Amino acid sequence: MTPLLEIQGLRTVFRSANGDIAAVDGVDLTVPRGRTLGIVGESGCGKSMLSLSVMRLVPPPGRVAAGRVLLEGRDLLTLSTAEMRAVRGGQVAMIFQEPMTSLNPVHPIGLQITEAMRAHDPRASAAELRDRAIAALERVRIPAPARRYDEFPHQLSGGMRQRVMIAMALACKPKLLIADEPTTALDVTVQAQILDLLRDLQQETGMSIILITHDLGVVAEMADEVAVMYAGRVAERASARDLFGSPQHPYTLGLLGSVPRLDEDRERLLAIEGAVPPPFALPQGCRFHPRCPFAIEACTKAQPPLEAIEPGHLAACIRAPVESAVELTP
Amino acid sequence: MSGVQPPARPSTLRVLLREPAAAVSAALVAITVLAALLAPWLAPYDPYETDLMAIMQPPGGAYLLGTDGQGRDMLSRLLYGLRVTLTMGALSLGFGGVLGVLIGFCAAYYRRVDGLLMRLADIMLSFPAILFGLAIAAIAGPGVTAVVIALSVATVPLMARIARSTALVVLGLDYIEAARAQGMGDARLIWRHLMPNCLSPILVFATLRFGQVILLGSALSFLGLGAQAPIAELGAMAAQGRTFLFFAPHISVIPSVAIFVIVLAFNVLGDALRDALDPRLRV
Repeated sequence: MTPLLEIQGLRTVFRSANGDIAAVDGVDLTVPRGRTLGIVGESGCGKSMLSLSVMRLVPPPGRVAAGRVLLEGRDLLTLSTAEMRAVRGGQVAMIFQEPMTSLNPVHPIGLQITEAMRAHDPRASAAELRDRAIAALERVRIPAPARRYDEFPHQLSGGMRQRVMIAMALACKPKLLIADEPTTALDVTVQAQILDLLRDLQQETGMSIILITHDLGVVAEMADEVAVMYAGRVAERASARDLFGSPQHPYTLGLLGSVPRLDEDRERLLAIEGAVPPPFALPQGCRFHPRCPFAIEACTKAQPPLEAIEPGHLAACIRAPVESAVELTP
Repeated sequence: MSGVQPPARPSTLRVLLREPAAAVSAALVAITVLAALLAPWLAPYDPYETDLMAIMQPPGGAYLLGTDGQGRDMLSRLLYGLRVTLTMGALSLGFGGVLGVLIGFCAAYYRRVDGLLMRLADIMLSFPAILFGLAIAAIAGPGVTAVVIALSVATVPLMARIARSTALVVLGLDYIEAARAQGMGDARLIWRHLMPNCLSPILVFATLRFGQVILLGSALSFLGLGAQAPIAELGAMAAQGRTFLFFAPHISVIPSVAIFVIVLAFNVLGDALRDALDPRLRV
């Protein structure tokens, strides 16, 4: 069976006075059906631009310069505006980081859900849409959905609003849900509820999820597959078990080292020195080498390709597998 | 998440009228509009009937607000004058405002035409409204139509700029992106999400502009480019009374005060309306 979504060589650039600057630079990813792909990385690594590129919603002056985004074999990048509009919300839906601002403050939430439905089903009657919207609110476990239907966003808590956003996103039964930091703005307890909800809805509907986050805990809990992004490229790609069990890219190691843990007695967290280089000032060779503790001379020369270390486990590092690299380092 | 009922949302009207100044202004606006609408029934005399035996009568007596230089009843002329002035203002604001909002939204939404549209607006803004009035009166002949055209044209670039700048802010908000991600079409997105969230500044500006338009229309009439004698129009009436300012000040003062009150009432009302329409202030 073909994967639901296949991204091939995606490159998203922003026009500037000094030529095009790539925010996403040659990314290959696959999202299997009914599974969750986690995309992890620091701020500015291009993960949000990747999701907007899939939706073809990259804000100008940005544009997708190269690559293919195949949804069930159909390249989204070649669709007409009208066809793409039918895909958005209909087949690929998206939820955003800020539930507080992702709802229009002047309309009751019920109207906003029915509007989302109407965009893909213009002939449905108002009463039918209302029933469907209330059912959608019920599905995301909002209590007293019929009463909430007429409430305004400011009357709801952040967790409730994110539930409303999910109800809107799932209103037209999409095959793929892109969740861009869906729980970052929420309390930890609410965060767990929302993640539970997403997982249950995935089981109910069989949709695939792309979960974009910088929170490795969320990824470990939710994702089947994980892609670690660094400076617009995929640094490492593996199943969640492999990635957390035997991380191969030094950047992944660094990310894991910077998570506080209860089961180990450590004096300090291992932090990755420095910051993600801005896309207009990328270093020569491997983009991570200035921050990499394992960097050698060769790392400054050429960009390492994303290669399989084991079957299904890919890393873009010439020193991988890391075990041997650690031994080599004095 | 218990069964506690959230407090019922008060209606816009109720929020609006909670403010005393707004309530007074709303009453004044309502009275003015009603008076203009009901002028044929309210006016005690024919506004164009002259009584040369009773010219420049002071207020009081048989003529409640006195008479003008030709012995016409001031109260009747005021009521009919309100009709002309308000209609003139409303038409100018309606045509100019709608066109301006459309242009402003287009400029904000379709960034490709933004530069062109806004430079055109700049060019239009560099002409004073009075100059438009002169030019159009020269082409079409002076009259109420010329004033409406001139003031509509003068309102378009101002409204376009307000609408554009407001729309640019709103278009940058998350819910616009969320609506796009739901596959909403341009027209629907503009109508459902952009328009309602741009309404407050547009309404406030429209109210202020209504005052300005009435003042400008009166000025054009005053200069003889607008309403022509014997048509009763507040600006023209003020102009006619100017000659008698020392003997019979009421002929100029009454229409001027009427203009002042209308402009003030609309300004206060618009301001209060903005507060009332903002759902974030509804608690």
